Amino acid sequence: MGFLEVKDLKVHFPIKGGIFGRTVDHVKAVDGVSFTLEKGKTYGLVGESGSGKSTTGRAIIGLNKITSGNVTFEGNDITANNRSRASFRKDIQMIFQDPYSSLNPKKRVIDLVAEPLRNFEKLSRKEERIRVQELLELVGLSPESILKYPHEFSGGQRQRIGIARAVALKPKLIIADEPVSALDVSVQAQVLNFMQEIQNELDLTYLFISHDLGVIKHMCDHIGIMYKGRFVEEGTANEIFESPQHIYTKRLVAAIPEIDPHKREELKKFRLEVNTEYEQAYNDYFDEEGLAYGLKPISDTHLVALPEKG
Amino acid sequence: MWKFSLRRIMIMIPQLIVLSIFIFVLAKMMPGDALSGQIDPNIDPERIEEIRVQMGWYDPWHEQYASWIGGVVTGDFGDSFRFKMPVTEIISQRIVNSFWLSLVTLILTYLIAIPLGITSGRYNDTLRDQLIQGYSYLGFATPLFIFALVMLWVFGFKLGWFPTSGSVTPGLEPGTFDYFMSKFYHLLLPALSMALIATYNTILYLRNEIVDTKQKDFVLTAKAKGASETRIYNQHILRNSLLPIAAFFGYEITLLIGGSIFIENIFGYPGMGQLLVESVTLRDYSVVTATTLLFGAASVLGALLSDIILSIVDPRIRIK
Amino acid sequence: MEKALEIKPKAIKSPSGFSIIWRELVRDKLALISLILLILIIAFVYGVSLVLDQEEIVKVDLFSIHEAPSEEFILGTDHGGRDVFGQLIIGTKNSLSIAIIVTVLTGIVGIVFGLVAGYFGGHVDNVLMRILDFFNILPFTMIVIAFVAVVPKYSVMTFSLIMTAFLWMGIARLIRSKALQEKELDYIQAAKTLGTSNIKIIFKHLLPNCMSLIIVTMTINLAANIGLESGLSFLGFGFPESTPSLGTLLSYARNPQTLEFRWWIWVPASLLILILMLAINNVGSALRRATDARQRRG
Repeated sequence: MGFLEVKDLKVHFPIKGGIFGRTVDHVKAVDGVSFTLEKGKTYGLVGESGSGKSTTGRAIIGLNKITSGNVTFEGNDITANNRSRASFRKDIQMIFQDPYSSLNPKKRVIDLVAEPLRNFEKLSRKEERIRVQELLELVGLSPESILKYPHEFSGGQRQRIGIARAVALKPKLIIADEPVSALDVSVQAQVLNFMQEIQNELDLTYLFISHDLGVIKHMCDHIGIMYKGRFVEEGTANEIFESPQHIYTKRLVAAIPEIDPHKREELKKFRLEVNTEYEQAYNDYFDEEGLAYGLKPISDTHLVALPEKG
Repeated sequence: MWKFSLRRIMIMIPQLIVLSIFIFVLAKMMPGDALSGQIDPNIDPERIEEIRVQMGWYDPWHEQYASWIGGVVTGDFGDSFRFKMPVTEIISQRIVNSFWLSLVTLILTYLIAIPLGITSGRYNDTLRDQLIQGYSYLGFATPLFIFALVMLWVFGFKLGWFPTSGSVTPGLEPGTFDYFMSKFYHLLLPALSMALIATYNTILYLRNEIVDTKQKDFVLTAKAKGASETRIYNQHILRNSLLPIAAFFGYEITLLIGGSIFIENIFGYPGMGQLLVESVTLRDYSVVTATTLLFGAASVLGALLSDIILSIVDPRIRIK
Repeated sequence: MEKALEIKPKAIKSPSGFSIIWRELVRDKLALISLILLILIIAFVYGVSLVLDQEEIVKVDLFSIHEAPSEEFILGTDHGGRDVFGQLIIGTKNSLSIAIIVTVLTGIVGIVFGLVAGYFGGHVDNVLMRILDFFNILPFTMIVIAFVAVVPKYSVMTFSLIMTAFLWMGIARLIRSKALQEKELDYIQAAKTLGTSNIKIIFKHLLPNCMSLIIVTMTINLAANIGLESGLSFLGFGFPESTPSLGTLLSYARNPQTLEFRWWIWVPASLLILILMLAINNVGSALRRATDARQRRG
């Protein structure tokens, strides 16, 4: 029994139209996604924008309605948005992409960080203040800043406030939805390293959503590659980066920039090769609608979306 | 476009039904009934009861509503107890007067507002623009009835340029040129008073629209290609901004109704607005019900018309 | 570690949004003058009416009908021999009071309606907007007149309730579109993931972020409501005659004789309404500019 299990998750959004505003079609944002997350590990969801990776994360935490499928957390079904889910609310938290819009501009830091505490724990004002100051210290902000407004902080600092708020309830799972893509590159590494530190310190499990393979490589133990709402490949970080099997994954991996100038020429050649292969073999890897096939295991941990006879 | 119009009409039907139920309930709540004005007070109360039963006073409300709405649809609003004649007849005289007043008001409003709005937008942030904006701001902040009183006082009484009440000089033969001129003369001051106050929306809309369009790429391109200022305005900017204005007139109907209630009372102009106030004061409820229903229906239809015209002129709203 | 924290470090308190708006308002000359003027009028009117005896002023005195302004009656008397100046003071007080009551009531109804429609969206929004559209189409003056005709026990309270019933739509619509925009922002989503209930999100997160819009709209509504009340009273469908308002004084001008020859009865009240409405609107537009500028600075 895994820590978090997602089985055949589907999230479809209706398209309204016609005279009566009836539902005429669906956008299949997430279309049959399954994966398992182990405690204390980091699972990376990668894909281009619109691939459904964020929707997957948001559906798990309950921000998007699940059309069908199951989400099991520590053996309990939390698919339905009901009371059984409420009791796990504390244990699953989220870090948002945009540190500017994810903090209410009209609230002071103390109110922002204390919000989850006020929802779940009855603390006196003094206790609350101490907890907030501890949390701020934990994320590396000065405890004096509790009465400031979010606009007085930089993007990186704001994201730290967001993290402080997410860990306030000592959750077990954190869904990090592109937590660093809105930040300057120089700040990204800081925040990522800091996230790894608190992962060890607080025994956290991450579901890490990103379009940036470099970031994913740095953070994740397991990786799922998404394309148009489906998985194209899943495996350990090593498997994905060292022996990508699906043509889509290959192209993504080939696109990671290389810092070593000596290898640049080599990489350029490799990229061209992959591109040619992608164009030639596209029809072997995707069905008529351009969607990925079902996943086939090629080792214990490595799964690839290949057609039946592939 | 047909899809949108059809959908919009589907929305309107329940609106009309709710409106009629609403007014029916209001009418039911009004003290007294259709009999109270007609019957000789000396008549035996038991006899009154009998008539009431006959007339369906004690029927379930939906049956009463059905028979009432049936009458309304065929143009039967009952009798006015004050005038002792069918409400339809009283209203038909008044409605014509109100129609002309509204029409002249609308025309005057656009005649004043459009040139001012264009000037204001074209020469934005100049003295001219500031003056026009100052005027429209005053128009926005001044209540119509105060302005109308002042107009009547100055131009009606002090200067004596305009008649101070009525819709036509008595004694003129309907259909003659003099009759027509007298009618026009009588409604000019009321219409002008209302129009001068009502320009605010149109001026502001036009100004903002033109100031916006001026910075659009296609205008800058036309300028770069050397098109003359006037040509740019006629060909590019005005076409985009004026059409929606033409469509707004349906919404203006609601405003006109509100305004005409004041204007007709102040200028003693015998239209629907004056009729409504008079009938409420005299508790002539069948007339109140009829005027309210007609005013309400006119507003609903006006909004429908504007929405449909707008959807043709400006496809953006169709998305909603 | 906890001990160290208990010695409270000096927390730096930053200025709140309101103080910034206030600063902007004071910088705007016209608005500042308007505001001072308003405060003076309000203080004067409410202060003097404490001393004035309303009973005494509305009492009919047949020996001093339609007197022109004199030393005894600064602004003359009306057709009942009543002191116009006294009525002006009390009328202003009544008009202002009802405008404030109606503004607050419509504000409450409109804000709650708009927030709920905007926050929940979807079907809830659809249904609520249909209701709003319906109310919006009814011509306000007409419907209030019809209602006044029906209500049996007509008082200041019923009057303000009737006005409220048909005036909440404007602010509701504004708040709704603001709420529709705001709720897409991550801070609302974040609040959901933090386990905050819908009601709390609406009132503790959405509402504060609509506050500047609310203040601006309510200020401008206040001015409009003064106009609407006096208009209805002018037609004879506002306050009962025992409670004079600015509109009641103006309604005497429906008599052509009064309009033409007895300016002292209706001109002062007209001017006062104009001044009040302009001043409040000036403050409102200044507030709007102030809040806009704040948004521009981000």
